[in-house]
Amino acid sequence: MELLEFARGPALKVALAVFCFGVSWRLVGTILLRYHRHLSVPRVGFFKSAMLGLLVGGSRSWPHPQFIKRTGYGEALGYSYHIGLFIVILFFAPHVLFIKSLFGVSWPVLSSSIITIIAVLTFTLLLAVLFRRLTYSVLRKLSNFDDYFSWFVTTLVIVTGLMATAHFGARYETLMAWHILSFDLLLIWYPFGKLMHAFYIFPSRMINGYFLARKGAPS
Amino acid sequence: MTTAKRLETIEDVLTANGVSRRTFLKFCITTASFMALAPSMSSVIAKELLKARRPSVIYLSFQECTGCLESLTRSYTPSIENMIFNMISLDYDDTLMAAAGKASEDALATAIKENYGHYLMVVDGSVPLGNGGVYNTQAGKSAVQILTDSAKGAAAIVCVGTCSSFGGIPFANPNPTGAVPISEIIKDKPIINVSGCPPIPAVITSTLVHYVTLGIPALDAHHRPLAFYGNTIHDRCYRRPFFDEGKFAKSFDDEGARNGWCLYELGCKGPTTYNACATVKWNEGTSFPIESGHPCLGCSEPNFWDRNGSFYAPLAAGLIGSVEPIGEAAGVGAAVGIAAAAVSRLRSRSKAKPHETEKQTSKEE
Amino acid sequence: MSAQSVNTATIGSVRAMPADVQGDLNDQVRVERAMQSFAMDYGAMTALRLESCIHCGICADACHFYIATEDPQYTPVLKVEPFKQAYKREAGPFAFFFKLFGLKRRVTTGELGNWQHLLFDSCNMCGRCSLICPMGIDVSALIEQARRSMFDAGLAPAELYAKAKHQEQTGQPESSAEPYREKLQAIGKQHRVEIPMDKPQAEVMLCVPRTDIEHYPKAVAALARVMQHLSVACTFRSEGLVAENYGYYAGGRDWQRQISLKLIEQALACHAKMLVVPECGHAYTALRWEAAELYGKPLPFRVLHVTEYLAEQLDAGKLKLRRADSGAVTFHDPCQLVRKGGVMQAPRRLMQALGLDLHELENNRAFSYCCGGGGGVLDIKRAAPLRYRAMESKLREVDDTGAGTFLTSCSDCRATFDDAKAHFNWDKSPHSLLELVADNLG
Repeated sequence: MELLEFARGPALKVALAVFCFGVSWRLVGTILLRYHRHLSVPRVGFFKSAMLGLLVGGSRSWPHPQFIKRTGYGEALGYSYHIGLFIVILFFAPHVLFIKSLFGVSWPVLSSSIITIIAVLTFTLLLAVLFRRLTYSVLRKLSNFDDYFSWFVTTLVIVTGLMATAHFGARYETLMAWHILSFDLLLIWYPFGKLMHAFYIFPSRMINGYFLARKGAPS
Repeated sequence: MTTAKRLETIEDVLTANGVSRRTFLKFCITTASFMALAPSMSSVIAKELLKARRPSVIYLSFQECTGCLESLTRSYTPSIENMIFNMISLDYDDTLMAAAGKASEDALATAIKENYGHYLMVVDGSVPLGNGGVYNTQAGKSAVQILTDSAKGAAAIVCVGTCSSFGGIPFANPNPTGAVPISEIIKDKPIINVSGCPPIPAVITSTLVHYVTLGIPALDAHHRPLAFYGNTIHDRCYRRPFFDEGKFAKSFDDEGARNGWCLYELGCKGPTTYNACATVKWNEGTSFPIESGHPCLGCSEPNFWDRNGSFYAPLAAGLIGSVEPIGEAAGVGAAVGIAAAAVSRLRSRSKAKPHETEKQTSKEE
Repeated sequence: MSAQSVNTATIGSVRAMPADVQGDLNDQVRVERAMQSFAMDYGAMTALRLESCIHCGICADACHFYIATEDPQYTPVLKVEPFKQAYKREAGPFAFFFKLFGLKRRVTTGELGNWQHLLFDSCNMCGRCSLICPMGIDVSALIEQARRSMFDAGLAPAELYAKAKHQEQTGQPESSAEPYREKLQAIGKQHRVEIPMDKPQAEVMLCVPRTDIEHYPKAVAALARVMQHLSVACTFRSEGLVAENYGYYAGGRDWQRQISLKLIEQALACHAKMLVVPECGHAYTALRWEAAELYGKPLPFRVLHVTEYLAEQLDAGKLKLRRADSGAVTFHDPCQLVRKGGVMQAPRRLMQALGLDLHELENNRAFSYCCGGGGGVLDIKRAAPLRYRAMESKLREVDDTGAGTFLTSCSDCRATFDDAKAHFNWDKSPHSLLELVADNLG
């Protein structure tokens, strides 16, 4: 079997299975832990607190003006490459076709040249983010294997994708195989590292937002 | 294929047929450019071709549909390529030759004996190995037997078509006859694979011309002439700008299709198919599948029938078969998660009681 | 404490600092206790918080300890790092893997001792980090849990442990020449106001910060005076006088419960409909938001901060205030009230009614920086140098408003600022909003 066939076939199947298995395990294993009842009388009723909590899911994306001066640069870097990744992943034609082959849904795509420009920008931002993690004292102290490896598997996918689009470095099928294999690696690593934050971010914001709202505390 | 007067060299043939030097040189220049050789090579081709003794060629056909031979001989007017076929001594071809039965078998044996070590063997069709090779026999001998016997004295082997190059259609799942490509059986002779289903006529003839004049051409990893198989269809496709712009036909005869947009979404295998269809085209440069509105099938690639799932599934799609097992994996994961949470909760509860009594003692400190 | 010596070692290593210990436990047992206590205390919410952390480091940008020193070891989420590891190893969904492959190494006692400093000396539990976290993690809740584990391992700071123990046993965080009950009556005499004590029936039960008893007796009198003005049947109860909860500070959950229960029992004993928490921040957190859980069922009476109560009375027309003549004022929002309590408008309502010319601090309301003494930090002597560093910008903020008068509504904040006044030779001193209200009753 050729490498590309392997990457698109058995490797992808195993990777998707491990992804679904691991994500499911981790989420269920967390959700089903104990819940403590809050017996204090809330300042704000349940329904309104829940609504306010839902809002926090979105509002935490934009830092409060009082914090922006200190956090702006880091947050801008972080959000920018996320936006870049989303655009490249969701609006590049071959990706949309891949999603269609799995789920049957599709949507309009962006021109591949625009995607290439955004992918290059995203890659640059990813490099900047790594540089920051290595040089900013807080991040250097905080960072562990998970942080660096998650960065690596994400960046590898985008680098191999750019190489494949540019036909740079090897035969097209080989580059495509590397790109898909790197995606397989990302899928397999996903449930075990901090990439899971994509699943946690909204529940965490919303539930903590609810607890703040019931106290009438700012969020 | 014998003629009244034995024509020794190709120059003899050309003269006998009243081909002007000018026409001949035009042919050599065209061939040189087809083969991506330097313009100066055309004079080398000319010189060598004129001198070339008419090499003996035996053409063996095994598990094939005869499409490759049809492609090769397809011409509506006598063309210079056809002249070339007077320039080789096609000593055996079971479709074209007049003789049949024992006479044709004798012709084969004679050609091999008289030109032992020098003849060019051209093969189309795959060779079945299943059940001792009974699925393709001639005169009681199995194809694999005929092949191995005939290859012993060959100078080189040219596999015409994907069947002989890579197994082709007989090789496709479930391959009931145990079909294999020629290269699986013959390991000790130089092999040139001219793959395609069928290959483009000019590709076959240019390869033969190169062999006759300059020897074996530069080959890729699959032993195909780089001149024709060095780029993908995608690299040379005239619809490439639409691919780059993200403009795709989504179904046959939709607006995109009628506008001649890229056929990637309809399953075009151009990006992973190496052939000359996009430049040389078919029917003397009339068109090729994509230009006619059908996605490339990838017919010049090994295992093309099975390797990409469906002809109409885009290359971007996964080859994972059904998605149910993956959904089931999520279910199994959830079950493990439930178990993990249960263990966690039990352990925390079991820690609670003894811990409280310990707290009492620490109070007394 | 040098801000420039940045420790670049891998996670888990902070500067070695000697730690206070309680009890005679074997080192290994100490660590085990801490980890088990945390694992026992966690639930789905703790798990969600620990799982959500993406190591973005933004929490450091909210913490005044980090901002003042630029020392990365004060990054808030780093304070719970050993416990995050414990969770992953013991209780998380992949605990099995972690144990099997030994993926998270065990914490040593020495390291845990270093973490005592991070959790108690350099954290006010002010909740500012919880507000900034882009993943919405309540970091200060995790720190609260971590403190409890440290306590269980006998690794609480000595001063907090001693005060918590004393309060649990006697009702007072420290002993005094005369019991507080007598002191209160003396204050009443001195300020010529009645101190209702141990009434069998009252609508409102009162308590008082021991900081006020010891250092700001006028505030005690102010409370009594205002309640008298409102003609509300209220009482202090000698068995439950002190508002502060040192069990909460020290991380001793059982002691926190005992201390809160004393107040609850007394409120029940006098059939109070309401328990008014005096000018104290963490007392409000402990009583309003944590006591019911410790009690085991919803409290059968309301719990209000005194500013909340007075704002209610103001809006009901029962409290009448005159315009106060104070010039430009500024107000420090106690962190436990504003971020963790939800009491933001009430003090401003009172200040508005007093006709005050309020110049807000640059970081006000939800974003107000903790005074620096919260969470028990004021009580920890060895933490003083760090605390002063962290307070510098807060003092500057107060100065920058140009206000001559500086108000707050928490006695421990007052004590912290007064301590800083002495250290820095500062020209301002915080005044009590309650005292101002009591001075301007209409």
